[in-house]
Amino acid sequence: MTGIRATEIMAAAGARELQDGEIVVVGIGLPQIACFLAMGTHAPRLTPLLEIGVANMRPKDTPVGLADSRIFYRATCWSGFLDVMGMNLHRGIVDTGFLGALEVDRFGNINTTLSRDGGKVRYFNGSAGGNDVASLAKRVIVVMRHELRKLPVAVSHLTSPGFVGGKSREDLSLRGGGPHRIITDKAVMGFDSQTRSARLVSLHPGIELEDVLANTGFPLLLPEKIPATPLPTKEELRLLREEIDPHGAYLGQLI
Amino acid sequence: MTGKIKTAAEVVATVPNGAHLALGGFAIARNPIAIVHELIRQQKRELILSQGVAGMDTDLLVGAGAVARLIIGGGSLDRFGPVHCVNRARESGSMIAEDWTSLSICFRYLAGALGLSFIPIKSLLASEVLDRLERGAGADAVARMSCPFTAEHYVALKSLTPDISFVHVQIADEDGNCRIEGPRWDNEEQAKAAKRIIIVAEEIVTTDEIRRAPERTVIPAHRVEAVVHQPFGAHPTSVFGCYDYDAAHLKLYVDHSKHPVRIGQYIDGYIRGSKDHWDYLEKVGGKERLSQLKAERNPGY
Repeated sequence: MTGIRATEIMAAAGARELQDGEIVVVGIGLPQIACFLAMGTHAPRLTPLLEIGVANMRPKDTPVGLADSRIFYRATCWSGFLDVMGMNLHRGIVDTGFLGALEVDRFGNINTTLSRDGGKVRYFNGSAGGNDVASLAKRVIVVMRHELRKLPVAVSHLTSPGFVGGKSREDLSLRGGGPHRIITDKAVMGFDSQTRSARLVSLHPGIELEDVLANTGFPLLLPEKIPATPLPTKEELRLLREEIDPHGAYLGQLI
Repeated sequence: MTGKIKTAAEVVATVPNGAHLALGGFAIARNPIAIVHELIRQQKRELILSQGVAGMDTDLLVGAGAVARLIIGGGSLDRFGPVHCVNRARESGSMIAEDWTSLSICFRYLAGALGLSFIPIKSLLASEVLDRLERGAGADAVARMSCPFTAEHYVALKSLTPDISFVHVQIADEDGNCRIEGPRWDNEEQAKAAKRIIIVAEEIVTTDEIRRAPERTVIPAHRVEAVVHQPFGAHPTSVFGCYDYDAAHLKLYVDHSKHPVRIGQYIDGYIRGSKDHWDYLEKVGGKERLSQLKAERNPGY
């Protein structure tokens, strides 16, 4: 396991959640890396979409964000919000929404708006397309750093809904299926089908359960036997390091 | 010759204080910076700004104290940082901010462009974004409703019809027929929702050239009031196919935007201290710097 970075395990875990042929709305950073890894391995017919109006991009240089021309290089379609978020997401045909987050709670609710440091409110980027993706995609995968303050009992601001209050998506009048996975640098979490509360799916190799529990702010449901998250294969590592993110712009650090 | 070609100073002189302006930038791409600078030079006040994802354009106007109310889906300068001036103004309560989502802003513009008074959406439900809009400044623009045919729950969004939309594009003719290359986010819905459309173009081509590929015209001349020809008019943000973002200058801007005093220094030095956009371009490095940013035909950045 030496030499394999947590971000590489996260990217591989994210890639394995994606099926061939899926339509996926991806955020910048690890979601995009995981998506390209899936396309380079088991899911060559996956269609990645970007909220700004891009389908099927094949970037060759590392972008700094969603508005960087590098990300939409060699796309097969350039359109806009109305096409990608309206006629795909709102239409109900996006299989997976792949997002980052500031905070996620036990019901998969996402905060990307603000933090509260003792009474002082600090604002961040807000929803942008995040609420739309979380409301409308058939399922949502979140990648984030595993820290106590980032995984609270309840998010400081509910920007994008998961299973709010443990309710079903139907009861919340939401079309999309809701959160499916939270992938962190320590573990993969899913959601219990009855309580809709977060449940441990696997621990990354070398990570102790105590470490995960100590850094999770909500009570985490545990399976009887806890599997280890599969490590990236040699080929996955080669793709990640040589083709997808050769300069380590996203794999070299956790945002 | 229809006389639509104007300077940034001429079009900005027609903007009343308190006007609702829609800006066509997204984060660090195609921001109408030449217009924003001129709005600051002409000391426009009490503006209402709307935008899908606010970028440096909105951040600068808020930093200059020109904005009374903000209607946005989100805001970011990508990896260069958050929109510090916008966030500081919310935290201090010096500006009214309505926080929506990218799609709900786009739907509100679409409704405006179609002449509808409202539009239903399936986003926002069960979120604090909706709660805050209902309790705060967005209260008169959202309502819960059921479909008259299926009884499904929706959020009804009031249409958004800005007074003026400013869109920065790659190519236009003198009449205002314009092409947008690369992704267009909510540019088309935003512009067509507005009462007046003002285009800033990197390059002016003949109408004959437009006629060779009319399917590429995103906003047609009959909707456009004025065209400003301003090469590098979006600097330091990027214009696909024309030039890359200026990373060094964006870093310098973000560094200044973190502090209320330093943002004032930036505005005094680069904006108020420049007589027009050409003068500003000289200050940020002139021909030598701009030629480094120029895009290659392929890949377009």
